[in-house]
Amino acid sequence: MSDISTREELIQGNKDLKTITDDVFNPIVAKPNKFWFAGLLLAASAALIGVISIVLTVWKGIGIWGVNKTIGWGWGITNFVWWVGIGHAGTFISAILLLFRQKWRTSINRSAEAMTIFAVICAGLFPLIHMGRLLLGFFILPYPNTRDVWVNFNSPLLWDVFAITTYLLVSLVFWYVGLIPDLGTVRDRMKTKFKKAFYRLLSFGWTGSAKHWQRFEIVSFTLAGLAAPLVLSVHTIVSFDFATSVIPGWHTTIFPPYFVAGAIFSGFAMVLTLMIVARKTMNLQDYITINHIELMNKIIILTGSIVGIAYLTELFIAWYSGVEYELFAFVNRATGPYWWAYWIMMTCNVVSPQLFWFKKLRRSIWFTFLMSIVINVGMWFERFVIIVTSLHRDYLPSSWEMYKPTIIEVLIFVGTLGIFFTLFLLFVRFFPVIAMAEVKTTIKNK
Amino acid sequence: MKLISGYFNKEASLLEAVKSLRANNIKIKDVFSPYPVHGLDQAMGLRRSWLPRAAFIGGAFGAISGFLFQAWVFTRAYPIKIGGKPFLATPSFIPVTFEFAVLFAAFSIVFAYLLKSNLGVGANNKIYDERATDDRFVVVLDTSNVDEQEAEKIKSKFEETGAEGIKYEE
Amino acid sequence: MKSNIESIMENYNITFQFSKKIKTILAVFIVIGVASLAYGIFAYSPTKVWSALLLNSVNFLTIGLGATFFVAVHIITQSGWHVSVQRIPEAISMSLPFGAIFMIIMLFGLNNVFHWIHEVHHDPLIMKKEAYLNVPFFITRLFIYLAVWILFTYVLRNLSKKSDLNDGLKYYNKSRTYAALFIVFFAITIVTFAWDWLMSIEAHWFSTLFGWYVLAGVIVKSFAVIIIIVAILRKLGYLEFITKENIHDLARYLFSFAIFWMYLWFSQFMLIWYANLPEETLYFIKRVDNYGFLFYLNLILNFLIPFLVLIVRKFRRILWIVTSIALVVFAGQWLDHYLMIFPGTMLDVQKIGIFDIGLTIGFIGILLWTVLQSLTKAKLLPKNHPYLQESFHYENL
Repeated sequence: MSDISTREELIQGNKDLKTITDDVFNPIVAKPNKFWFAGLLLAASAALIGVISIVLTVWKGIGIWGVNKTIGWGWGITNFVWWVGIGHAGTFISAILLLFRQKWRTSINRSAEAMTIFAVICAGLFPLIHMGRLLLGFFILPYPNTRDVWVNFNSPLLWDVFAITTYLLVSLVFWYVGLIPDLGTVRDRMKTKFKKAFYRLLSFGWTGSAKHWQRFEIVSFTLAGLAAPLVLSVHTIVSFDFATSVIPGWHTTIFPPYFVAGAIFSGFAMVLTLMIVARKTMNLQDYITINHIELMNKIIILTGSIVGIAYLTELFIAWYSGVEYELFAFVNRATGPYWWAYWIMMTCNVVSPQLFWFKKLRRSIWFTFLMSIVINVGMWFERFVIIVTSLHRDYLPSSWEMYKPTIIEVLIFVGTLGIFFTLFLLFVRFFPVIAMAEVKTTIKNK
Repeated sequence: MKLISGYFNKEASLLEAVKSLRANNIKIKDVFSPYPVHGLDQAMGLRRSWLPRAAFIGGAFGAISGFLFQAWVFTRAYPIKIGGKPFLATPSFIPVTFEFAVLFAAFSIVFAYLLKSNLGVGANNKIYDERATDDRFVVVLDTSNVDEQEAEKIKSKFEETGAEGIKYEE
Repeated sequence: MKSNIESIMENYNITFQFSKKIKTILAVFIVIGVASLAYGIFAYSPTKVWSALLLNSVNFLTIGLGATFFVAVHIITQSGWHVSVQRIPEAISMSLPFGAIFMIIMLFGLNNVFHWIHEVHHDPLIMKKEAYLNVPFFITRLFIYLAVWILFTYVLRNLSKKSDLNDGLKYYNKSRTYAALFIVFFAITIVTFAWDWLMSIEAHWFSTLFGWYVLAGVIVKSFAVIIIIVAILRKLGYLEFITKENIHDLARYLFSFAIFWMYLWFSQFMLIWYANLPEETLYFIKRVDNYGFLFYLNLILNFLIPFLVLIVRKFRRILWIVTSIALVVFAGQWLDHYLMIFPGTMLDVQKIGIFDIGLTIGFIGILLWTVLQSLTKAKLLPKNHPYLQESFHYENL
């Protein structure tokens, strides 16, 4: 099999099975360095600030946010959509790239999936906080109750509840199924008794039996087949929150696939941000090579261009439709009071990914790192533009309003960044960051 | 139970050993490897797993029950006009139906996999060699009901195919 | 087993022989088409005849276009599995010039199908769109699309043919640039092409998703046609080197893009149904009320049947089952075009009759003729392709 392949080895450094195990296992037992502690401290403090802001919001009420009539959705929902979007890359890498037999995904799928789960957790917080009173949270679940009331299955917001929950659970299960063999490897190499017992518990008694591997592969593949449409459905349903309405700028049929492309776009940018830091600090340059970065950049061009075409399509059809409200909404986005947000979005999302057509830039780590942040800024502004500019100009000019976030809203966002990075830093400390068993299948020297 | 196990360094010699043992009608108890070895299931004559069927059944159940539940809520339990939609607003029910289907399918196959493979919290399956999850391939045979001559043959097969070690266990 | 496949490949130098017998059958197809056209002109209104011609021309053109897209995508993604069937989409893409001729013929019937042409001066809504919807610009756009599509198709085909003579890798690397450029151009123009030729039939209606929805249909259809041609060649005793895994992969593509098509169909329908804005809903009301049976049949052919059959792994590996599903999808995509065109152009409700089917048979005859003719021009296996071996040595789970 391997001798007929004319392709390059996916990982560098002429690794054999043993060195792969060592490279992934050692960071788990080694004493973490200063950067890790500094990062954790920073992230945890941000998370703490976020938690305090959330408590304050729940205590005092949504009134301490900047949302108003008619802008009922502000930073809260912007952040929600942004975080859900970031989550999409993990499932895309582990599910869709698995179905397309893209073996290079093995170096990054583990951490991308972890990122997905943490991002979805951050995302899920926002709608809950946005309810103002947390007790309303369980009213959205369909359970038999003494009030004899059921939930509204006609509401896209309720579809979201199901979509996000399913997505979180399935991603978690998918991630963990893939982790079991590697946790077994960690267990078998742990020397201290307590740690060994800890990983024995986590590894579910994995032995590496042929029958188990056979089932493992078929289960991974089936889960990928399920997760691939699931990942499309999640952001599709998030886009339904907007597109089922009759608000100009929100009601447009291209939203579902365009939201999905945007989600994968921003998700890949976040994966790149994390991976470029991780490969440097954890010495994973042999696993996450410049080729991996280039391939991810190609996906960035693809999804960025899809997003760009969608923007232009929306603009064109707004004119073509002959509906003056629609046209106004789009002209107002570009030239109204929030013009700056619109142009940040356009520059970051449409223009900047096109720079990756140059091979030199695609293979430059510093440039990629910069771009990965630029893109996520752009994608955050995309959601801000969609939400705020469509809401701040009502049909009735007397209801025209402006929106400005309060410090609490900003701090909650900072807090979720803190939660995200805290979880991610803990993950890289205690779990195998590279799917070693899967990487082992790709090397030629075995 | 008497066990004999052979240790291999290379994927190729493992496959060779398994093939030659099977060609001599010797029953293999199990094979352990650090990663899914391509072609090992054919070499061992393992049948294809039925697990995807669990996903299909779970998914079908999820889809049907999810749809019927929503239809029941909106036509029987709590019919209410919302947004001018009919009570049985099929397009509105599709998203939740789909999510039910995926959720049930995914959990069905994963639970079936864990149960069938005896994996789970607190599972304590026997580990023959700790290096089997690192860089070693282990073939284990049950020699309880096998005579001396046969055991000798197994040993020679292991040696022929380049085993780096052979271990006997009671 | 491996060595067997390898020996087949090493000695594989066969090109397709277009026999007299097949030519006769296809000639009969074409005669049926011409007879139906004559009958149609005699029996029906010009609008109906031109609508049917539009349906078949667009269908014909997009089959070739989808095939070029298939070739280009597999070049830029550097995939290897498809090499054993690569010459088939290449041959299908060679039908593109004929599709272009049909589209140019359609220019003589524009008045009959596009109501905006005569209403552009007194319909206030259409007057607003005049900057885009005017005949000179419309025709210019068409010529630009056709010229660039055909140019890239020929460049990619020639590079692939040249690779047979000597260094495969050199020509392969060359083709990567062209493939990328084609995809960029195609991604934009297939959308505007769909607006021009399908969405503007009902010039008041608009949907931002429409272009991508048509694109999804084109992709599904191109897989279906590739599978059908593979089956025909297998029947005629060629392509014995194609493995079960290759068929499995084609079937997986058909399966997953049928789902993707359904996803876009549903997204468009759901949003319009839910928001229920008069200017948008009218499009679906017409179709559900007047063409209810065909409207649901469309979903059954394009989604339900392929989904329920190809979800079974065993079925994805059996050529005749996969081919039957490909035929169902092919018919389904034809029907989808029918539903895009006829409710818009014809005031009274139409039924699919002998005329529509006969005309389509004629077009299928021309398509098969051009495809089989181009199959004679190159070896059935691109033997210098850098990933040739991969195509025969992989397994699907």
